Amino acid sequence: MTFSLLHATDFADRLLYKIIPPLKDGMIVLADRYAYTAFARDATRGVDRQWVRELYSFAVRPDLSLYFRVPIDMSVDRLMARRVKLKFYEAGMDLGWSTNPVESFRMFQGKVLDEYDRLVEEFGLEVVSAVGSITEQQRIVRGLVSQQLQINHVEIPDEQPA
Amino acid sequence: MNSQPDTPDLANAGASSDIQAGRYYGRGIPYLPIEGYPGKLIAIEGTDGVGRSTQIQLLREWLEVKGYGVIETGWTRSPLMQPTIELAKSSNTLNKLTFVLLYATDFADRMEKEIIPALKAGFVVLSDRYIFTALARAGVRGVDRLWLRSLYGFGIAPHLVFYLNVDVKTLIARVLAARGMDFWESGMDLKVGDDIYDSFRAYQSKLLKEYGSMADEFHFRVVDARRSIDKIQEELRKQVAAFLEPGAASKSDG
Ligand SMILES: Nc1ncnc2c1ncn2[C@@H]1O[C@H](COP(=O)(O)OP(=O)(O)OP(=O)(O)O)[C@@H](O)[C@H]1O
Ligand SMILES: [Mg+2]
Repeated sequence: MTFSLLHATDFADRLLYKIIPPLKDGMIVLADRYAYTAFARDATRGVDRQWVRELYSFAVRPDLSLYFRVPIDMSVDRLMARRVKLKFYEAGMDLGWSTNPVESFRMFQGKVLDEYDRLVEEFGLEVVSAVGSITEQQRIVRGLVSQQLQINHVEIPDEQPA
Repeated sequence: MNSQPDTPDLANAGASSDIQAGRYYGRGIPYLPIEGYPGKLIAIEGTDGVGRSTQIQLLREWLEVKGYGVIETGWTRSPLMQPTIELAKSSNTLNKLTFVLLYATDFADRMEKEIIPALKAGFVVLSDRYIFTALARAGVRGVDRLWLRSLYGFGIAPHLVFYLNVDVKTLIARVLAARGMDFWESGMDLKVGDDIYDSFRAYQSKLLKEYGSMADEFHFRVVDARRSIDKIQEELRKQVAAFLEPGAASKSDG
């Protein structure tokens, strides 16, 4: 619970200072991770799903949410390739599922990915396969983003200066 | 952010009429089931400087003499959060939402690490303030009340909630005699004026109203705190005794 609430506090701070002001100014805000990260992570840690959703009800609903989906093996391989040291909490080591960081990461992140699959349906996340090359992914992302921007553009009738 | 923004599922989220003493208010902490623990949770609520600590100290001595194991817990006293909250208070950079969440984090930490373990071990837990202080302070600052109730759904409904009720006039006299008015207790962050006396008066009146509005919803046992320390204590002991030892209640021990 504490873990979940600390993240929510940090999120609220970023939302109010870094996200809402530029939105009000008409800017496009790109958020690397959003409330969905918390939904997936906290549920995996055993926090009540509905409670977390209500907790974050102060958040702005994104116009477009992209979810980069990879199979768990590829996720582990990519992390290993970067030779990063797995972070204690990222690997869910605190949950005591395994004493081996890589094994713990695989188990924990596997459950996190399952949670993301629920979110895709529930919140209509756009799934981008992150298996392909960076160029390929970027092509898809640009397609989705420009589509979104056009929709918004059409929705707003020509603004006449008053 | 809810999947169905129009109909948030608050049926189990907040405090409704089906509050059960000793159980979670709302959705609880799924990985910490709390069935049939032996301890008891007693909350002493009331606004700043009303005399909570005085009463708790007396209650504690009395309970210990009777042979109960007693543990006290208080607001923003978790080892995890206290430094952060003190820092936030002193820097003035936090907005009301982050403040509410920091308080909730502190409470969650104490819930998991202090209150629930103590209840499972059979202690009488005396809580100096409880979630109602957080609800009242956030409520007067315009934070959504339904959201607040859902947020605190991981809290346990105390077996007894004593609310030390006072009027602003008595409160002002008591606080001035004891230690003077403090920036936060005067709601100076709300910037209604520069005068600390006027601000204290206006802010505490609002707070008292907010507390009062929760009395039925959360089953407060309202205690008239305008009386002497001894009179208040006498009433608390009578009610606590009747709760802890229902059979012995008639055989008063004076
Ligand atoms: N019933 C009472 N009548 C008169 N004075 C009282 C009464 N109860 C407490 N006091 C005095 O008021 C002061 C504040 O009491 P106490 O510290 O118990 O309040 P508190 O509610 O715990 O305050 P805080 O909000 O600062 O924690 C003390 O000086 C105490 O002696
Ligand atoms: Mg006190």
